Amino acid sequence: MSQNFGTAQAVGFRFSGRGGEYFRIWIVNLALSILTLGIYSAWAKVRRLQYFYRNTSFAGSSFDYHGDPKAILKGRIAAVLLLVLYNVAGNLDPTLGLGAFAVLMLVFPWLVQRSLRFKLHNSSYRGLRFGFDGTVGGAYKAFLMWPTIGYLTLGLLMPVAHQRIKAYQHRNSRYGSEAFRFTAGEGGFFGIYLKLLGMLILLIVALVAVGVGLGWFASLGVQDGDPEQQAALVGMILFAVLGFYIVAFLFLGPWFSARIQNLVWNGTALGPHGCSSNVRARDLFRIYLTNFIGIVLTLGLFKPFADIRLARYRMEHMAVTLQGSLDEFVAAQQQGVSAAGEEAADLFDFDISF
Amino acid sequence: MPMVSADYYDGKSARAHSVRLSLSADALLVQGDGIDRREPLHTLHVSEPMGAAPRLIKFADGAHCEVRDHAALAALLEAGGHRDGWVVRLQSRWGWALAAVIIAVAGGAAGYRWGLPAVSEWIAFKLPDKALAQMGQSTLAFLDEGVLSPSSLPAARQHSLSNAFEKLAVPDGMGAGHEIVFRNGRAIGANAFALPDGTIVVTDQLVSLARHDEEIIAVLAHELGHLSRRHSLRMLIQGSIVGFVAAWYLGDVSNVAAGLPTVMLQARYSRDHEREADEYAAAMLKANGISPSRLADMLEKLEQAHASKKSGEDGEQTDVFGGYLASHPATSERIKALERD
Repeated sequence: MSQNFGTAQAVGFRFSGRGGEYFRIWIVNLALSILTLGIYSAWAKVRRLQYFYRNTSFAGSSFDYHGDPKAILKGRIAAVLLLVLYNVAGNLDPTLGLGAFAVLMLVFPWLVQRSLRFKLHNSSYRGLRFGFDGTVGGAYKAFLMWPTIGYLTLGLLMPVAHQRIKAYQHRNSRYGSEAFRFTAGEGGFFGIYLKLLGMLILLIVALVAVGVGLGWFASLGVQDGDPEQQAALVGMILFAVLGFYIVAFLFLGPWFSARIQNLVWNGTALGPHGCSSNVRARDLFRIYLTNFIGIVLTLGLFKPFADIRLARYRMEHMAVTLQGSLDEFVAAQQQGVSAAGEEAADLFDFDISF
Repeated sequence: MPMVSADYYDGKSARAHSVRLSLSADALLVQGDGIDRREPLHTLHVSEPMGAAPRLIKFADGAHCEVRDHAALAALLEAGGHRDGWVVRLQSRWGWALAAVIIAVAGGAAGYRWGLPAVSEWIAFKLPDKALAQMGQSTLAFLDEGVLSPSSLPAARQHSLSNAFEKLAVPDGMGAGHEIVFRNGRAIGANAFALPDGTIVVTDQLVSLARHDEEIIAVLAHELGHLSRRHSLRMLIQGSIVGFVAAWYLGDVSNVAAGLPTVMLQARYSRDHEREADEYAAAMLKANGISPSRLADMLEKLEQAHASKKSGEDGEQTDVFGGYLASHPATSERIKALERD
């Protein structure tokens, strides 16, 4: 089926995954992973990713995942060892733990660069592999230097750091020989962060006001220094802190996530073909909340259904505006791709997702 | 002869070719839209069925066919003698999925009940002494800053208690390396606990609660039992593992909930550990001509002391530090066991 999109035309992604079907794959592979003491989990992961990739289609063709389970198993063993060492160091002595944290931070950008390479080299569409050409140096700038600057400026430059990370990921990606472009500037990130800050301040003010009111009401008719007055005070603080977390996670989390996804993908293009995303915060909120309730009520068995629901929503709210035919993409120098792909496969897949 | 329509991609460009697939002896024929290939069946890789997702037939040179007509392809695969892997067959049936739920739950429970303690014990006895010393010192320093204050017992009294304990023979011949320190327990009241490096902390309140020195000795023997089995260390390791697994599983859901299993786990295991430490103490006391009922007497007093405190003014719990200072839920059971000895 050879599509020809003469004039510009927005084409959406389709997702055909189904909860019940994926549940069976998930649970059978989970049981096998348990029976093999975790070794099978690498094969399970490949199968799960293949389910999502192959059930995602664009313009009549599906995506595919080619990760080698053995490479993933190696990466997982290394990752678990690293985390155990880090945990043990932290438990032994705070100073040692801090040292381990510093080491982890130092190797983190390198790990991210490796895992991005692995992920993209092992993804394909219409028989062409994606690719990632970001350098290790670039990863250190994006994932270490900019966040550090962000912290040193007390978060003032955090939006810039966020933009640099996304720019590193998207500008260095390609499909076949065609590179992705990323045009979302710092301004958009500053806008989202400013709004988030404003909402956080409003939230704190509102909660303090309600908390003080409740605390005052609860301590009515109680003597100063009474245990009951103290209890009222503690209750008020608890209410404020708990309320802050609940509102922040349930409402601001999905809002932030939706805005960033839209900003990033509306600023991404593959050659002349612009991407677009129109995820809505209230929809994400509804999905997060119902997924959370489902997972809690079923003691985790709802997880595969939850994953499918979220993936469907995210995929079906993305589109690419095609300018001309899809047929014109070609592989990068075939040799280079496969060699690089194998090299990456030999190293780690740390499955660091953003 | 079944005929299947498919999209063919050569792996070099994104161009789709509309082709027809058919079988010819031991080979697959791919024809149409300028493509004419004949590939021996054994060189092909057919992807697993995954619901509505297309199935992919991959060629050795990187080309592949994307097939969406599942019924026609199934007939062709059947004619070609292709058989899905056993995992695929398990995945396709709800019965097997149910069996997998049971295996996953049973496996998880077994791992939690037997695997986790075994792994933690193994790690606990592999950790170098230097690491234990470090851990014990930083814990004691932390406790000294907030919860404990210096002991008001006279130095001579401290020495005589320590010396009386050091003179005793230990059941396993060598005993764990240890050091006894005295502190004012303040809010935690009458208590004794062992840190991973062999430090046994005894509170002034426990010393004054005892009516006989042998009762204090009995508690020290109990703590030495914890030390020789490295209980506190094992609990720490178990807690870390459970926290890690829970965080990994819940992942994006919630990090707050990840802490809960750790708390539950520590309550569950401390009972087993208390019983082991009681057995150790009973053996040690008997070997030195002291009645194990001294420990039972002391346990009773400790329970009464903590119970009266609990029902008292602010209802604050005594086991604020979970692992180390966990309260002992089945005390009456333990007292009975000790008196049988």
